[in-house]
Amino acid sequence: MVFSSVIYLFRFFPLFFLLYYLVPGRMKNFILLLGSLFFYAWGEPVYVLLMLFSTIVDYTHGRLLERFHGKKGAKWILLSSVIINLSVLGFFKYTDFLIGTINSLAGTSLPLLNLPLPIGISFYTFQTMSYTIDVYRGEAKVQRNLLDFGVYVTMFPQLIAGPIVKYREVEERLHKRTANVFAINAGLKRFCIGLAKKVLLANNMGELWVLISKLNPGEISVLTAWLGVAAFAFQIYFDFSGYSDMAIGLGEMLGFRFPENFNYPYISASVTEFWRRWHISLGSWFREYVYIPLGGNRKGLPRQLLNILIVWMLTGIWHGAGWNFLLWGLWFAIALVLEKLFLGKLLSWLPRAVGIVYTLLIVLIGWVLFALETPQGLFQYLGVMMGAGELVDRQALYLGSQYVVLLCISVFASTPIFHMFVKALERSRTGIGIAFYRFGEKLIPAALLLLSIAGIVEASYNPFLYFRF
Amino acid sequence: MGEKRNALFTILLLSSIILILTVSDFIQGDRLFSETENRVLASKPEFTAEALFKGNYTQDFETYVTDQFVSRDKWIGIKTYMDMFLQKKEIGGVYLGADGYLIEQHLPEDYPKEQVDKKLELLEQLVERWDAKVMLVPTADNILTDKLPAYALYYDEAHLLEQVKERIGQENYVDVYAILQEHGQEEIYYRTDHHWTSLGAYYGYLAWAQEGQSLYYAPEDLEVAADDFLGTLHSKVNLDMPGESILYFPKTMSDSVKVTYDLQRVTDSCYEKSHLTTKNKYAFFLDDNHAFIEIETDCRNGKVLYVIKDSYANCFIPMLTPYYQKIYVMDLRYFKGRLFGFMEQYQPEEGMDVLVLYNCVHFLEQFMYMP
Repeated sequence: MVFSSVIYLFRFFPLFFLLYYLVPGRMKNFILLLGSLFFYAWGEPVYVLLMLFSTIVDYTHGRLLERFHGKKGAKWILLSSVIINLSVLGFFKYTDFLIGTINSLAGTSLPLLNLPLPIGISFYTFQTMSYTIDVYRGEAKVQRNLLDFGVYVTMFPQLIAGPIVKYREVEERLHKRTANVFAINAGLKRFCIGLAKKVLLANNMGELWVLISKLNPGEISVLTAWLGVAAFAFQIYFDFSGYSDMAIGLGEMLGFRFPENFNYPYISASVTEFWRRWHISLGSWFREYVYIPLGGNRKGLPRQLLNILIVWMLTGIWHGAGWNFLLWGLWFAIALVLEKLFLGKLLSWLPRAVGIVYTLLIVLIGWVLFALETPQGLFQYLGVMMGAGELVDRQALYLGSQYVVLLCISVFASTPIFHMFVKALERSRTGIGIAFYRFGEKLIPAALLLLSIAGIVEASYNPFLYFRF
Repeated sequence: MGEKRNALFTILLLSSIILILTVSDFIQGDRLFSETENRVLASKPEFTAEALFKGNYTQDFETYVTDQFVSRDKWIGIKTYMDMFLQKKEIGGVYLGADGYLIEQHLPEDYPKEQVDKKLELLEQLVERWDAKVMLVPTADNILTDKLPAYALYYDEAHLLEQVKERIGQENYVDVYAILQEHGQEEIYYRTDHHWTSLGAYYGYLAWAQEGQSLYYAPEDLEVAADDFLGTLHSKVNLDMPGESILYFPKTMSDSVKVTYDLQRVTDSCYEKSHLTTKNKYAFFLDDNHAFIEIETDCRNGKVLYVIKDSYANCFIPMLTPYYQKIYVMDLRYFKGRLFGFMEQYQPEEGMDVLVLYNCVHFLEQFMYMP
C-alpha cells in the first residue's frame, strides 16, 4: 500500500488510527503489528512471510547473543545473523544481476529467476542488522518481547522507504510511548506536507522527466536535456523526502520519534555536505556499520580513501542491481576522495555560491547515471548536456513554458526559505505574527491535503521511486 | 492551555477532512458508468484466495475505490484547475487552446517513419487494386495552429499528405487540407471534441465533389440537432465549458433511406436521435461506430460506393446519399478477414467507387487490413 492512494487515506488511515487511539496502552503494539502486517500484505501477500521470517531470525539471534554475551560464540552468532540477512537481500535483489553479468561475460545463457523484488527489503534488512550488531556491541539491550520486536521490524510508516531507523533510536519507545496532542498535531501536519511533496511536486516533475527520457537523446536540444535532469532531480528529491516526511509524521502520531532523513540537500556547497543532507539515515548506517569498522580515517590516508571507495560502491549497489548504480556510487566516491585530498579546502576558500554550483553539477550528472540504465543512452544524454546538439529548440521552449511555474515552486521548496519564514513567525511575539502563524499552520496543510486528494483521485501517474530499492 | 486548544483545533480540522470524506464515500453508492469521463468505472472485484495470491485482487480493489471515490468528477475538475493555475497548457494529451478550443495532442515521436511507411504501402495497394479515392482529413492541431499554445508540438500532417499524394497520384488524392486551411477561421472543428463539425465535413464534401457535379447543400442550410454537446476532449479535462451545437443538413434527413447496421438492425435514417439525450452526442451520426453499414437510397442510378473509414466519416457519409444508390461503410478495426475478397462480394458488374476516409492520425493508427 502506498500513502498517496485512496485506499490508504480513506480506508486504512482513519480505521487504523481510530483503533490505535481507542485501545488501551498495552494493546497498542498489538494493533500496530496487525495493522503493519495488513499494510504490507496488501502489496505483498506472499512476501509478508519473508518479513516474518526475518523478524523471527533476528529475534532469535538477539536472544542467543544475550546468552553468549562476552563468550567466544557471540561472534559466530552475529556472523550468522549478518549472513542470513545479506543472503536474503542478495538472493532477491542481486541474483538476476549476477546471472545477467555472467551471461554477458561468459556468453552463457543461464535462465534468470525473474523474481519480483520484495517491497522495502533493502530497508528492513538494514534495520534488523542494526539490531543484532548493536546488541552484539552492547549498544542496545536485547529485546525479549517478540511483540515489541515485531513492531520494530514491521512498523508500517517507514517500512517501505525509510528512514532507516536504528533499533536503539526507538528502543525505549517500542515498549512505552505516548503521543500527546502536540505530537499528533505536528505529525498530522508533517504528513500532509509530505503527501503534497509527493503528489503535487514529485508526480508532476516525474511526468516531465518521463516525457523527456522517452525522446531519442540524439535528437533533443541542450536545454531539453537540462530540463530533463532537473525534473528527475526534483522528482526523486520530493518523492523520497516526501515519503520520509509522511513516515516521520505518522511516527509522531504513534508516539515515536524517527530520525530526520533530508535536510535541504540541494543547497549543499560540497558533495561531502550533500551526503550529510541526503538520505541521512542510509549514510549514517553505512558510516556506522561499514566505514568505521573498516577503520574509517584512523588508519592513514590511503586506507581512508579505499574505505570511502568501498562504502560508495556499496551505497551505489544498494540503490539497485545494475552497473549504472555502481557507476553512480563510483562517481560520488571520486568526488568525495578529491574533496578529501584538496578540493574541499579549495571550496572552503571560494564563495559558497561556487560550491553550490559545483555540487549541483556533480549531483545532476550523478542523477543521469542513476536514471538512465543503458550505457549508450547514458553517454549520449551526457553529451547533449555538455553541449552536443542544438542549444534550444521548439520542444525545449514548449516543455519549459509548460513546467516553468512548477520548476520555480520546486526550486523554492528545495530551499529552507519558507521554513525559516515559518520559524520566524512562530517565534514572533507580535499579535499579527502569531495570528498569521496560527492561521497558516492550519490552512496550508488543509489546502495541501485537499489538492493532493484531487491529484490522487485523478492519478494518471503515481509511482513511488524508492519501491525499487 | 491556549496552545493545546490550538493544536486540538488543527487536529480536528485535518482529521475531519479525512473522516468526512471517508464516511461520505462509504454512504455513496457505486456508479456503473461515468458520463463525464465517458467510460465504464471499475466495479467491486470478487474476493477469492486465488485472486489474492495469483491475480491482482488488491490492485483491482484500489482501482475500484479510486474510480468510485466520492465526487470523483469534482476532484478531477479541481486537479485541472490546479494545472491551469500552474500555467500548464496541456492536460492529459489535450491542449488548452485559445478561444475556448480544446485540441487533441499528437506528438511527432508517436508516429515513427516505419509506421508511416507501412500505412502508405497498404494504402497504395488498395488504391492500385480498386482505384480508390483517398480523403485524409487533417486534425485540429494542424489547422487551428493559431489557437495552439505557444511552441506547442504537433505531428506534421502536411508532410504526411505530401507523401500520400506522391504515392497514390494526384487523380486519386482529395485535397481536404487546403480547403480546411482556407476556412480555418470558421467553426470546422468542435471546441470540446476531437471530430470535425458538420461544417468541416461540408468543406470536405466540396473537396470531394468533382467539378461539374451538382451540389445539394449550402452552409446556410445547416440546422441544429442539439446545442449542449460536450465531447471527448472535454471529458479528459472536465472544465466548465459551454455546450456546442451539433448540426446537420435537413435534406440528408428527409431523403428516404434504408440503413442496415452490421447486417442486422434496419432503420430508415442515417441519424440516431436517441444519442442526442446522452453524453456521446456525436453518435447521432450513423449510430456511432459499426463494423459494417449498408445504406440504400432512393436514387435509382445504380451507382455503388464502398467507404473504408474512421469516425470522421460518420457526419460526412449522409451527404453522399443523393449520389449513390448503395453505400457500403466499413470500419477496419472490427474486420478480421481478407479485405479484397470481402469487397468483391459487394461489387456490381459495372464496378463501384471506393473511398478511403480517415483523419490523418486515425489513418496512422487504425488503417490496417489483409489484402
